[in-house]
Amino acid sequence: MLTTIVPLIGRRLIASIFILLVVSVLLFLVLHVLPVDPAAMSMPPTATIAEIEAHRREMGMDQPLWDQYAIWLVKLLQGDLGTSIHFKRSVWGLIADALPATIELAFLSMLIATVFGIGGGLLLFASRGSYAEPAIDLVTIVLLSIPEFLWALFFILIFGVALNVLPFTGRLDADLRLPEGSNFLLLNALFSGQFAIFWNALKHMVLPCFALGIAFSPAIMRVLRSSLIDVYQDDYIHLARLRGVTETRILLGHALKNAILPTLSLMGVQFGFLFGGTLLVEVIFSYPGLGSVMVDAVRNADLPIIQAVGLAYCVVVLVINTVVDTLYLVLNPKLRAQ
Amino acid sequence: MLRSVFRSSRVLIGLTIVGILVVCAIFAPLIAPHDPNEQNLVSILLPPAWSEGGDPSFLLGTDSLGRDVLSRLIFGARVAMTVAVLASLGAMIVGAVLAYIAGYFGGRIDALIGRAVDVWMSFPPVILSLILMVGLGVGLRNVIFAIVAVDWTRFCRVIRSEVLVVRRKDYIAAAQLMGFSHPRVIVKEIVPATLPLLITLLSMEMGIAVIVEAILSFVGMSVSANTPAWGQMVADARQTIYEAPWNLFLPIFAIFLAVLGFNILGDGLRRTLDVRLIARGRT
Amino acid sequence: MSILAVDNLEVSARIGTARIPVVSGLGFTLQRGSVLGVVGESGAGKSMIGRAIAQILPQGFSVTGGLSFLGQDLIGMPAEQRRMLLGRDIAFVPQEPLSGLNPVLTIGAQIDEHLARLGIGAKRARRDYALDMLNAVRLPRPADILGKYAHQLSGGMCQRVLIAMAFASRPKLLIADEPTTALDVTTQSRIVELIRDLQRSEGTSVIFITHDLRLAADISDQVLVLYAGRLAEYGPAKEIFADAAHPYTRCLQLSNPSVHASRIGLYSLPDRMPGISALGSIAGCLFGPRCPNVIDACREKTPRAVSVGEGHDVACIRSDLTARIDPPLRQAIDKKPYGASLLTVESVSKTFSMTSGIFRRTNFQAVRNINFTLQQNEFVGIVGESGSGKSTVARLLCGLETATEGKLVLAGRDVTGGDKVSRQHQRAHIQMVFQDPQSALNPRRSVASIITQAMEAAGQATWRDRLAKAEALLHEVGLPSDAALRFPSELSGGQKQRVNIARALCRAPEILVADEIVSGLDVSVQAQLLNLLLRLRSERSFSMVLISHDLAVVRYLCDRVFVMHKGEFVEAGPTADVFDHPQHPYTESLLAAVPRDFVADAARRDRRNGISPADEIV
Ligand SMILES: Nc1ncnc2c1ncn2[C@@H]1O[C@H](COP(=O)(O)OP(=O)(O)O)[C@@H](O)[C@H]1O
Ligand code: SF4
Ligand SMILES: [Mg+2]
Repeated sequence: MLTTIVPLIGRRLIASIFILLVVSVLLFLVLHVLPVDPAAMSMPPTATIAEIEAHRREMGMDQPLWDQYAIWLVKLLQGDLGTSIHFKRSVWGLIADALPATIELAFLSMLIATVFGIGGGLLLFASRGSYAEPAIDLVTIVLLSIPEFLWALFFILIFGVALNVLPFTGRLDADLRLPEGSNFLLLNALFSGQFAIFWNALKHMVLPCFALGIAFSPAIMRVLRSSLIDVYQDDYIHLARLRGVTETRILLGHALKNAILPTLSLMGVQFGFLFGGTLLVEVIFSYPGLGSVMVDAVRNADLPIIQAVGLAYCVVVLVINTVVDTLYLVLNPKLRAQ
Repeated sequence: MLRSVFRSSRVLIGLTIVGILVVCAIFAPLIAPHDPNEQNLVSILLPPAWSEGGDPSFLLGTDSLGRDVLSRLIFGARVAMTVAVLASLGAMIVGAVLAYIAGYFGGRIDALIGRAVDVWMSFPPVILSLILMVGLGVGLRNVIFAIVAVDWTRFCRVIRSEVLVVRRKDYIAAAQLMGFSHPRVIVKEIVPATLPLLITLLSMEMGIAVIVEAILSFVGMSVSANTPAWGQMVADARQTIYEAPWNLFLPIFAIFLAVLGFNILGDGLRRTLDVRLIARGRT
Repeated sequence: MSILAVDNLEVSARIGTARIPVVSGLGFTLQRGSVLGVVGESGAGKSMIGRAIAQILPQGFSVTGGLSFLGQDLIGMPAEQRRMLLGRDIAFVPQEPLSGLNPVLTIGAQIDEHLARLGIGAKRARRDYALDMLNAVRLPRPADILGKYAHQLSGGMCQRVLIAMAFASRPKLLIADEPTTALDVTTQSRIVELIRDLQRSEGTSVIFITHDLRLAADISDQVLVLYAGRLAEYGPAKEIFADAAHPYTRCLQLSNPSVHASRIGLYSLPDRMPGISALGSIAGCLFGPRCPNVIDACREKTPRAVSVGEGHDVACIRSDLTARIDPPLRQAIDKKPYGASLLTVESVSKTFSMTSGIFRRTNFQAVRNINFTLQQNEFVGIVGESGSGKSTVARLLCGLETATEGKLVLAGRDVTGGDKVSRQHQRAHIQMVFQDPQSALNPRRSVASIITQAMEAAGQATWRDRLAKAEALLHEVGLPSDAALRFPSELSGGQKQRVNIARALCRAPEILVADEIVSGLDVSVQAQLLNLLLRLRSERSFSMVLISHDLAVVRYLCDRVFVMHKGEFVEAGPTADVFDHPQHPYTESLLAAVPRDFVADAARRDRRNGISPADEIV
């Protein structure tokens, strides 16, 4: 199996690099060709034209576009993402601080989305043909209509404001200090034995993670349900029954292994969206991740950050896609053979 | 088929919700009791009229600048509905045309379009639209453009794989043998086969467009600040969450309702238009 | 002791509030070690018998009557107890072997699951047993097969695996539901042989369901002929085959063409078997509307099964007249003098280059160095197994593909290049009848719109013109004119195929290319279509390239035949010569796969008609 999968993944990685290159060009074009003038935007409104021009030169924007891109790319490959106009800080540093926070958030959310999605899908499937089915189906459409940031606000209203049982700003209570080390707060706290911090951080993650997880699970449920229904039409299910295999085993041992395939490819797409969804959820929960950095940068027209963070989002999405594709290959012998 | 579409209760519920919102959007100046931007600094953060301290002239209360929440909600429907309809139509046209070309002709052009979709899909839609808005600057037309530029892939991916299925049917080859040109085969044989899917996707996309617009206006990157939009209202209310939690609830509900309307409509259409489901129901 | 006793079995479907019996009044007993063939057209209720025994029915179906397996009542017993019998004492072999195996589990895992359920404890023991089983079904290199997935095996290999699993528990009863229908001819005969060998060595009782009367007679001890869910005839296989007592059985036999005698007309039963919804509207004998011997008395009440010989029952009040039903002789109008040469194919090859991604390509040669000519009014056949390149030849001829080598001359014009003018020329002279009517007819177009699509393409015709033309064409292909405004979903398989033919005829082409147009259809419908093509040729004059895996069909229609194997023509010549004296081993193997007993039967029929094979005119 390894011998067939490894080259496929290798090809996938090469394709990802190609995609990243195209993305970087696109990003650059969008931010440099489109009408907005970052030099003017990053100056106070009182600045004179001469001052703006000077600033433009300082930002290297007087040079031809391709040169600018080439310089940017070369620096990028050297690990230099430039300096934030607004924070006057290295963009690398900003991303290195924020990305782990976002990854922790996204990872836990995906876990929740998977558990709810697959569990819910099985329940939906079990309800087929029953009198409750139309009602349950309608509930999933209602759930499907609530995007993650509405869940987030809703949870804040209920659990944060009305019941006041869970915190809804930041990663930790104000009186606790971030532990030294990596910004993977949960892991860091757990491995350094600071359980109070771990517990506190976990509490801060409950609302944002559930907001994201719940928002992205109904689509998974529905796809799992409909692919299970499709799979149950197949001959091998019927034949397994004729062989005396029990219904439970048919579901878990035969049908689910097939129905999970379309579900998995949907999850690949959904998790890409989920990772984008962290942006607003972070802003709403004042969670210091990539999204908060991005939104600040957007408000300040901080081009170096926008470019770099945009690219960072792409890298993570490509990683997610590669992982999902690999899983798909592992689970689908047909694709592996090709 | 058309009759069964209008007999579906989901379609009717969806149409009702969407219809109400569209009416609000079109006739906003007539329906809204106040100018949505009129500030009453003496009566800020009023609760809804029926609760204690409410003012009957501000039915759903006021926001932190003393603007009438109900009027802002009604005017907010304008932006939401305009974006929903135009952006999703645009995304559909771009995505579907590319999908038909890719799926029908296959080969290199298909591979090229497929790669383009891959590139687009490596961006979370929210991030890409935000970046586009940075490049374009705020404004209704730019929001619509950004959503089209981001969401065409949703149509392209799904329609393309459907086209690939239809393309393999012998009746496509038969049409060619009868002397149909390629464009004619696409228009007369393939488009009709994918129409149910297209309509369903369009309806769902309208809901997505509402959400994306709300997200953009939440971070202040949608329409300009003096045009009322639901996302903006959410962002404003977020600041006064302890003083006036109901202010947060109302725009949330408006967004939810709009998305729900489009989704129920889409699901109803899918059920009544899906040939496979119809075939199953008949036998 | 009898293994299975079926008494007054009824399977009924709930439609709205009504219960409609899909299978009714069925009774038979199956002795230990004997084989019962169940025969009938599709929809006759054959599969329902197996499903009733397992009590695994589609939603809304229910079973009543007596169904006793080794003295235990299958209907009354608790579901759990019945489940314990399934896969142990009662085993099944399905119709579609490829889809009968779970695509994401290895063959080994699936066999292992089954053996574990049978109670073989140790993993090692299960593996050894599995290897023995695969050896017993003559699969080469069983150890490799255990690690493979269904899609990596051929249909025949999958069927062997499933047969191995079915026999693993040494079942008392095996139900094989059309186990060979989905397979290639050569594979078919080997699978039948395998089932028979295992059945003999294990002493298993078998219910062998098939639509092929000849095959049933070949393998079974008893045969049960079903019509619309009712027993038509039941008796010893050889007797039923030699001396059918029910008109339906007889007509089925006479509508089946033969590989070895082409000059006898096929009997074509009119219309088709009633579906569930039509059952209620027929009074008396359900076969009445199609029966050549029907009289008023038949419509009065449903005929009861009466004995006409030892263990031979027939549900017909006039069974003594059955033997008098004769096939029509082929008329002189069948034959038309050949005219000028229409088509020349010179050393044509087709290599597909598949693009994967923007830059990568792989090549596959589907057709290699094909030569032939076709004259006006000539019908030629191309036979071969699936994947041999037959359909590619068809698509090349029609211009749906372009040849990579060689030359294609059609009605005096070189059309090899595939440029616009050549294509137009091709379209005017050659049309195609597609294999699968389900896929060939746009479900969103009315029949009239489908048939006259060529007029739509030409662009001047009004809808009224088109409707008139459609009705004329429908009449030609034997469909009522009110079919014009119906949609394909409202037609039966045979009717769809007629529409398919009508569309191809719309531009009055000189050549029809027909790709497997009768495969998957019941013999009675097949006979209708084959006779239709002969009639059409005599009426309008055209040539045909008939592509089929069924040698008998080619023998019936075509004067010359090409045997295709791996993209090449390995043998060519007059049909009678090739099929009676095959030269190439591949042709021999194709012919050897045709069920036995057959030559004798054909000869007997020929004698009755006063024709000997030597009389054939080519
Ligand atoms: N799943 C099903 N739902 C409804 N009707 C069915 C189903 N399966 C079979 N039937 C009907 O039951 C009858 C007998 O079918 P079947 O036993 O499959 O016939 P056969 O095996 O002889 O082709 C037919 O009229 C068919 O239409
Ligand atoms: S009973 Fe009458 S109609 Fe029925 S099969 Fe016999 S002769 Fe024909
Ligand atoms: Mg069957």
